[in-house]
Formats: sequence, structure tokens, C-alpha cells
Amino acid sequence: MNVSGDDPASGPRSGTRPGRPRHRIVLVREWDAGTTGSGCCGRVGGSHHDLGSAEDFSRSRRVMHEVGEVYRRLRSDLGGSVPIEIVDPRNTAWIVPVVYRDARRRGMRRLDALREVNRATAQPAVIVDGRAIYSGSLGPPDEVVDAVHRELEIRVPDPG
Amino acid sequence: MPAFVVMFGVLGMFAVAYVVYAKYLAQKVYVLDPDFEVPAVAMEDGVDYVPTNKHVLFGHHFTSIAGAAPIVGPAIAVFWGWGPALAWVTLGTIFAAGVHDMGSLVVSVRSKATNIGTLTQWVINPRSRTLFLLIVFFLVTLVNAVFAIVIAGLFIDYPGAVIPILFEIPLAVALGYYIRRSGTGALVPSIIGVILLYLMIPVGAAYPIDIEPLAQAVGMGAETLWIILLFIYGFIVSRIAVWILLQPRDYINSHQLFIALGVIALGLLIGMDTLQGPFLNTDIEEGAPHWFPFLFVTIACGAISGFHSLVASGTTSKQLATEPDARYVGYMGALGEGSLALGAILAVTAGVAAVGLDWGELYVDFETADDNAVGYFVEGVAGFASHLLVPISIGTIFAAVVVVSFAATTMDTGIRLQRYIIQEIGGIAGIGWMKRGINISTALAVAAPLALALAPGDLAFGRLWALFGTTNQLTAGLALAVIAVWVMKRNRNPLAQVAPLAFLLVMTSYALLQNMLDFIEGRDVVLGSLNAIIAVLAAWLIVEATLALRAARRGDLEPVSQETIEEELEAQDLRR
Repeated sequence: MNVSGDDPASGPRSGTRPGRPRHRIVLVREWDAGTTGSGCCGRVGGSHHDLGSAEDFSRSRRVMHEVGEVYRRLRSDLGGSVPIEIVDPRNTAWIVPVVYRDARRRGMRRLDALREVNRATAQPAVIVDGRAIYSGSLGPPDEVVDAVHRELEIRVPDPG
Repeated sequence: MPAFVVMFGVLGMFAVAYVVYAKYLAQKVYVLDPDFEVPAVAMEDGVDYVPTNKHVLFGHHFTSIAGAAPIVGPAIAVFWGWGPALAWVTLGTIFAAGVHDMGSLVVSVRSKATNIGTLTQWVINPRSRTLFLLIVFFLVTLVNAVFAIVIAGLFIDYPGAVIPILFEIPLAVALGYYIRRSGTGALVPSIIGVILLYLMIPVGAAYPIDIEPLAQAVGMGAETLWIILLFIYGFIVSRIAVWILLQPRDYINSHQLFIALGVIALGLLIGMDTLQGPFLNTDIEEGAPHWFPFLFVTIACGAISGFHSLVASGTTSKQLATEPDARYVGYMGALGEGSLALGAILAVTAGVAAVGLDWGELYVDFETADDNAVGYFVEGVAGFASHLLVPISIGTIFAAVVVVSFAATTMDTGIRLQRYIIQEIGGIAGIGWMKRGINISTALAVAAPLALALAPGDLAFGRLWALFGTTNQLTAGLALAVIAVWVMKRNRNPLAQVAPLAFLLVMTSYALLQNMLDFIEGRDVVLGSLNAIIAVLAAWLIVEATLALRAARRGDLEPVSQETIEEELEAQDLRR
């Protein structure tokens, strides 16, 4: 497990512009059938697909299910109050500016923000407000969800 | 005419089309409803069904549909002049591809994210499923054949690209291994990977690999030997797990896509090159194909590509967060593909002038044009890169590496896909060894396109490419028929689908007829037979589409029940 150990001194970011989400959670993992340059004429599909086999992507799918468990738990806890995005690590055109901006907004230095950007492109990764709290592997879902909540400073609702 | 004027003109038309026509489609034809519970929400599981930010989803969708095909077709079609090629790319993208890609997404979303192959079975009739599989079988066979020829040609014309491309294979494997083992972020290693790949370009330039002596030693031409080697590579790669090579190489390819687009756009703006060649080429030798109808099958991807319906319906529809996002993701994705084709046209008209090539000599006759079109694109991109201070000798190898990287990915996935189709056909026909024997099905998947690529006789690449374009248009036609029937069932005006459908069917049929006459006259058994099979598929599609549209107009077609959809999803799970 690779949990970031630095102290989020700045805490959850504040002072964001009206209309912008206060927090953002990004879960990073590969989509099973996403392959650049193949789609035009030779696409191999993944699950529930006519042309392809989910078995081809069994390794990705294992991570997809791990992240999926975390996603469901967070959605259940947070509802729609915090946007949660699942992104392919190859989608750097979206990940790089978003994570960098979020990291800077919470007060990280440029170099630290860039470091978080790189950590955010691991398979899998969990990023909360620009900080990659998991990068390269996940812990048990309970632990990951708790870590996200701590990062968000949101109390986990009591069961029942 | 200055190339940047053309670039901004076409991009401006795309922008207007998005604002006006895509809005019309969204409001009046597909009637996108923000309150409709999309599959990503209704079946949200965080695995396959995830409501996704539209900008994120656009990135996933666009990188999946982008490839080498929108480069090759336009580079050949400029033979008829840049005017017709540009007009078909622009109008085809706006009125055919956008409608098709967005429609495939919407119909799939309204059918619990069902893929287009199953939808043809439900919306038209069960026979159409067989038709779909057959069209895709021939499409993939032709794709693998033409891309093998493209890569072989580039390796012969630009032997400096061989070392970087060979280096890319272990590089991608090592990159994937390192990322997995270290758990590090992929961004920095993949950027280093791209840098290492491009550092091999000067090495490749210093040590070009010419296999002509080896080919002569074994009694064949260099192109033949490269094609055989490529299919041996394809056989091996399509058998190994995707995480070993295909997925890690994608980290490099995803950067290369944006680098290549950036080089074309920036180089063009800085160089202020002007378009060379005629608007309409009237100086065409006797026997060359006429632009009408061959332009419309030569440029398939870049104007309309049926394979996009597989991407839109197979994966993207499971991630659409709200139905109105279909306009942004589906229609805009088509515009992105059209922009790639635009870049190809500008490279072979303006870019080639930047490296001092004479357009009239490059496109002196059709055979010269179709044999070398991809090379012209490579030279054109090198021309644009030269404005960014990249030496032309390096720029050509850079462009060749980009094209080969994409073409090789298409071949890898194409052969793998062909194997599945052969296994499925084996299952339908009850042939056990064909269904279960992976070596045999892979060998068959390799043998068919290999035979086609090496077919004896005067096999003009352009003819083979046009047959590929025809099958791709037929795939699009089938998807458009599904969408048109879906629209008609809801008592809306299906003109937006029926017009491009009719246009495509007329043009593909006309091209097939013209081809048939030429192949008979030239006694070309191989291409003649293939053309005849595809003509039968086209006729079959016309019959099915006509019957389905008539039935939809009479209100005879039953809507697909939710139970049917549930059963199919369950059956697909069981098949896995």
C-alpha cells in the first residue's frame, strides 16, 4: 500500500469560487476496452460487448472491481454532495490540469502539485482535492473510504 | 490558398454545425431528455456503469475512435483535388458521422447500453445480426491487409523508422512492467518512454534497416517479406495478454496522438504554407477511377466510420452521465475525427510543399498516388515539423513512427478481433475445432488478410483500400438503419438518418458495380470475388433497411421489451 504520509496542513480547500464544487474525488484506473488508435477499425471490446472478450482485460477488470467497491461506498456515504470521477490514467488531457489546479488551490507548491499529478496517473489511484492519497495500489475498501473521509473532513455516518 | 484559412474555415463550419445542427438533432430528432435515467445511473456499479463527467468521457471516447485510417483515405483522395476531399470530409462529418456517432450513443443509452450488433438484431430483425457479423468479418480482414501493406511500405520508404518501431515493443513492455511493479504514476515514465522512443529516431536515421538483400536471398520482394513478418508479429501479439504490450503501448500512443496533432497545427500556423494542387483535378489519366463515386468510399474514416458505432454503443454509452451529454461526446467525437482527416489533407497539400515536393509529380496518376499516399502524409508532417526547427530527415521518421504505431495497434486488435469472429462463426456453424482451437482460429485470422495482402496480380492498393472503405460504410449504413428505425418508431422525422443512409448505399453500390466491371475486364479473380461478396452484403443491407423502414412507417415493428434487454445482458454474462 502506498498511502501518502504528508500532513495536509492546508486542510480542505476553502474560498473556492461560487458554483465550483468544494471538493473533488478522482478515482483512477484503466477502462477495460480503451485503446488509443484501435477504435476506428479494429476495436476489441470488453464486458457486454459483441466483439471482444472480458477475459482479455481480466487484469484491468480486477482493479476496476476494487475501485468500483470504493466508488459505491463513497457514493453511498456522500450521495451527490461531492463529485466523484473515474478516469483512465491515459486521459492525461483531463487529469493533469484538474489535479494540478486542485492541488494548487489547496495551497501546494508547484513542484508538489506536479508530483501529485504524476501520482494521480497510477493504476489505481485515489485523489482528493488534488492530493493522491493512494497511488499504485489500494488498501481494503474500508480503509480507503475512511482515508477519503478523513481527507474530506466529513464524518462517516454511523451504520444504521 | 493559405492552409490556415482552410483549417479555420473547416473548424469554423464544425463549430457552427455543433451549435446549430447538433442542437437540432438533440432537440428534435433524438429529443435528449435531461431527466431520463441513463444506464450509467440506473445500473451504476462503479465498474462498467459509471456516470462520467462529459469532458472525461470525451477523452476516453475520442482516443478510442482516433487511429490511422483517417490519414490514409484523405491522403489518397486528394488525387481528385483537394476540393472534393475537403468537401466530403466536412459535409460527411457534419451530416453523416455526427448523426451516426451521436445516434448510436443515444439508441444504445435508450436500450440499457446495448451494443450495436445486438441492436441490429432487435431493432431490424435477427438476420441482421448475421449480416453485421459478416460485414465486420470482411471489414476486419481488409483492415488487416491494408494496414500490413501501409506499414510495409513505410518501412521500405523510411527504413530509419524500423529501429524506433522495433525499440517501441520492448520499451512498452518494460514501461508496463515498471508501472505495475513500482506502483508509480504513469505520467512521468510514459513521457520518458516517448522521449526515449524519439531519441531512437536519429539512431534509426543513422542505421536504416533495409531488408531488400534478405528478401532477395529468400527469393521475394522486400514488401512481401515485411508483410509476412508483420503477420507473424500479429499472430504472436494477438495471442499474448493485452496488458503485456497493447495496453502499455497505449500510454505512449496517447501522447503521440496529441504530439502529432500539435505538430500539424503549430507547424501550419507558423509556416503559413499554402495549398498546392488543383481544387478539382481534371487532368486524370484514362482508366483511373472517377471521384464520383470512389471519393466516398476512399474516405470512410474521417467522413463517416461504422466502427464508431461499436465504440459509442459498447463502452461510451455505459458512462454517459446525462442524455444531453450525447451531443458533446458523440457529435464532438465525430468532429474530432474529421479534424484528423483535415490534418491529413493539409499535410498532403500544404505540408509537402514545405519540403519542396511538387504536388503535380506526387499525384501524377492514380497508381502513383495510391501507392505512396501515406508517404506523402509523412513528408507533409515533416514539412510542418520543419517550421518547428525539426530537421526534415528526422521529421519524416517521426511521422512514420506515429503512423506505424497506430497502424500496428489497429493490426494487433484487428487480428485478435478476427479470431473472436471466427470462433463465433465456428460456434454458430457447430464446428468445434474452429470455436475452441485458439491456434487454428488465430491462424485463420492471419491467413485471410495475409493472402489478400500478397494476392498475385496487379493489386492496386487504392482498390483494396476502396473495398475496405466500402465495408466500413456498410457498417455505418447498418447502424444508420437501426437509428433511423428507432427514430421513426417515435414518430419523428428520420431524414437526418435516411439521407446519409441512402447516400452511402447508393455510393457504395455504384462503386461496387464500377469495381466489378473493372475486375472482370482485368480478370482479377481475387478482388473480383471479394467485391462480389461485399456487393451481396450491400444488397442484403439495402433489402433489410428498406423492409425495416417500411415496417417502422406502418408501425409493424414491435418495440424491444425491457425483459428482452435483461435476458440479453444475462446471456452475454453467461457467454463470458
